[in-house]
Amino acid sequence: MRVLHLLINGDRVTVAAPEHWTLLEVLRYELGLTGSKQGCDKGDCGACTVLVDGKPVLACLTLAALCEERAVTTIEGLLPAHVKSGGSGPDPVQAAFDECGALQCGFCQPGMMLSARALLDRNACPTRTEIQDALAGNLCRCTGYTQIVEAVELAVAKHCGVAPRRPGSARPRGRSRPPPRRA
Amino acid sequence: MSTNEPTGAPLAPNQDPKAQEKPRKTRKIKTTKDVNGVPQEIEIEVEDVDGPRWGERKDLKVLNTELRRVDGPVKVTGRARYTHDVRLPGMVYARLLCCPYPSAEVTIDVQDALKLPGVEAAIVLETKTRFLGQPIAVVAGRTSDHADDALRALKVTYKPLPWAVDRAQALAEGAPNVRKNGNKGKPGQNGDRAEAEAAIAAAPAKLEATYSVPVQHHASLETHGVVIDYRGGEEATVYISTQWTFAAVGQVAELLGLKANQVTAIVEHMGGGFGSKFDLGSEGAVACRVAKELKKPVHLMLRRPDEFVMAGNRSGNRVTYKAGMNADGTLAGLVANAEKFGGLGDGSMARPPYVYSAGKTYSEVVAVYTNTDSNRAMRAPGHPQASFGMEAVLDELAYQLGLDLLEVRKANLKDKVWHRQLERVAKEIGWFEHPHRTKPGPNSGGKELGIGFGISTWGGGGSGGTECDVQLAKDGSVTVSVGTQDLGTGSRTLVTAIVAEEFGLQLGDVVARIGNSRLPSATGSGGSTTTGSLSPAVKDAAWNARNAFAEHLAPILKTEAALVRFAGGKVFSQANPNAAMTWKQACATLRDAGLNAHGKWDKDRAAALMGNGVHGAQAAKVEVDTLTGRVRVLEMVGIQDCGLPINRTAVRSQLNGGMVQSLSYALFEERVIDPVLGLALNANFEDYKLAGPSEIPKMTSIIDDDDQRSATIGMAEPAIVPGHSAIANAVHNACGARVRDLPLTPDKVLAALGRIA
Ligand code: FES
Ligand code: FES
Repeated sequence: MRVLHLLINGDRVTVAAPEHWTLLEVLRYELGLTGSKQGCDKGDCGACTVLVDGKPVLACLTLAALCEERAVTTIEGLLPAHVKSGGSGPDPVQAAFDECGALQCGFCQPGMMLSARALLDRNACPTRTEIQDALAGNLCRCTGYTQIVEAVELAVAKHCGVAPRRPGSARPRGRSRPPPRRA
Repeated sequence: MSTNEPTGAPLAPNQDPKAQEKPRKTRKIKTTKDVNGVPQEIEIEVEDVDGPRWGERKDLKVLNTELRRVDGPVKVTGRARYTHDVRLPGMVYARLLCCPYPSAEVTIDVQDALKLPGVEAAIVLETKTRFLGQPIAVVAGRTSDHADDALRALKVTYKPLPWAVDRAQALAEGAPNVRKNGNKGKPGQNGDRAEAEAAIAAAPAKLEATYSVPVQHHASLETHGVVIDYRGGEEATVYISTQWTFAAVGQVAELLGLKANQVTAIVEHMGGGFGSKFDLGSEGAVACRVAKELKKPVHLMLRRPDEFVMAGNRSGNRVTYKAGMNADGTLAGLVANAEKFGGLGDGSMARPPYVYSAGKTYSEVVAVYTNTDSNRAMRAPGHPQASFGMEAVLDELAYQLGLDLLEVRKANLKDKVWHRQLERVAKEIGWFEHPHRTKPGPNSGGKELGIGFGISTWGGGGSGGTECDVQLAKDGSVTVSVGTQDLGTGSRTLVTAIVAEEFGLQLGDVVARIGNSRLPSATGSGGSTTTGSLSPAVKDAAWNARNAFAEHLAPILKTEAALVRFAGGKVFSQANPNAAMTWKQACATLRDAGLNAHGKWDKDRAAALMGNGVHGAQAAKVEVDTLTGRVRVLEMVGIQDCGLPINRTAVRSQLNGGMVQSLSYALFEERVIDPVLGLALNANFEDYKLAGPSEIPKMTSIIDDDDQRSATIGMAEPAIVPGHSAIANAVHNACGARVRDLPLTPDKVLAALGRIA
């Protein structure tokens, strides 16, 4: 066992866990933060994606001990973080997923949304291809991804102040014109 | 499940709403109306209905619109609790050990494992196995880590027994008997072989070819599993990832030695099923065994590799078609010899010919058994398998005769709905401008574009067994309760929407309680029957609640119950719309206990509300790199009728999801087992490839609004039926590469092009 000092969703937490436990195990089995999903426990599905210092990582492949003193954001922390930074209600990515019906069973969503959040943090106005690339590590068996990509596009459109494309009228991958980048 | 296994391709009834309409009966009500403060006698005509109806589409405010899911907020914030997320005091985590061989004698020594700290149970389940992945032991520990330690500490020796894991092994001389009566089931035959053969022989274009599809996995993102909360005593709760809340209750009760009324099943949210999660399952039974022994809550979720080998699959199949086509494109005859590979199960295959009329036909369908886990229902069982060869045969024969692929389809379809749908997808995808409509494009060495088509059908419908309560509280809040489950398909939103529509409220004004066996009973979600079973029961309860509330309000509004209207959050008499009460004011007149109404799926009343029989058509556009054999799907277009859509956003999501699942089936998915070593080679998401966000093409999903039936129909199955067939046909169309065996991997494309041996 080892005592870990973690910074999860802005809270300092001290938790004792076996040295070899992954971040996902600590989150799900010690801290009760079950929003991060265990889809494969092997780095293949992306359902466990969380942000560590703003970068998307697979929590099932990340040792918790290596996350000490680093800022971990899980799906549970997205809304509070948004509110803390002056927003109201859910993070725009969450709001867009809700609005576009970008979910069915929802098991893949936490990971999807955190991958999307990380993308928008580093690139506020990504192209469709960039969105698809950023989500490439996240599997979804239900939705066929289309409404998920549309949701991210909606979040982007709201942020960049341009109207989103109508559902179903997406251009084929690789042909989309990049919207103007922000400085 | 009632409609899981349709034996053939029923000709779906036409979409004409007149077929279901009954003559309208009206009656006149004498009442008074305030005109400038002066009461005047008037007569109002009201419709006399003998039961609930959806009403005219143009009048609907909630149904048939794009609704946000009511479970959206809890899901996007990570608060939705799935079975995997249940944490209880004193809970132990259980793990299964699955046999790595298709058949073996096993000895397991559990003593070392039991000595480890934190390990609470280690139980041998089986000493002789019949299928690859069969659970042979279960361990449980205070943490998942302790359970893993226990697994490693089991001393297991395997003595592999002769096995058969594929067709060749199962049908070989001297093969071991997989099932008691051998490795082949009883063939199902249909039609007259001699007649069909003669018709084919006389036709100007003929073909004989074998088409096969691999075993596919459901691959729900949440694996199968349960949490059994039993701590001794007289009651237990089972949290379960299931497609049928009520199925587990009796099974758990029996296994724990309790009565059904002492067991509660809870399915708050579940991470997908696609047909694989109907009952308690062997993993659930094992969890009960551990719980009974320890008298502690037991958490047993399958690990992903176990999920791949023991939790079901879509059977593979192999069909040899002989077919003949007349010069006008109609099929003269068709003979199909099909084998289904469902492991220990019987597999599934809709009876050939799939949907199309094919002249004189004969089919023979037989199960071939192997030492792998039994197939389970998977989204339109048997239909994608049957579609694949059928759609290919049409194209191959059309090319022989130089006929247009679209016209050939129409020539073999009696039901004109498909004609219209095919025309629509053809137009959307650019068929009429496409250069290769009657013969395939060239094997050029460069990239070539191709288009392919496929069609689908399904039954749907619903059945009895679903009941529902609607409660109006004095504060104006509305609750609808039914024990049904939401697989992600949106049933929670469906029940909410129906009640909101009835009372002229918004979705947010109604709360749905579902997923609990203490609520009114509901049927399982299989074969797209949830909508047809659930929506009439909910509507019935809502209608009863509305009538009771109208009775209650009539004297208050000084009118007759038949004239009480609920609309836009207001309640009023049709005679005096201006003297309206708000919904809250109206509810405040209720007694303290509020108003409760009950409804159920009743055969006669449901008949006016639910429908059966759907049509769909899909088209795919692909780019084939004829040098490397790589296929990229550029575009998919699908159209689907579904009667009255309840939530258009959800229908579109079903279409998108179905089409991408079939894209995945076309290009990537295949269970691989090494026949010599007997090992599962791709029991994980790294090697069993699912289509990901990068693979999705431009998607156009169209709800067929020409279908004006005032009836609800489930939508899960049909969307998955024809996509892979359309993609394989598009590859052929692009460059002449006819790959008759899915998935369409580059090596197979190159071989079909003659570029590699
Ligand atoms: S659980 Fe981490 S990638 Fe699947
Ligand atoms: S919504 Fe079910 S896996 Fe994505």
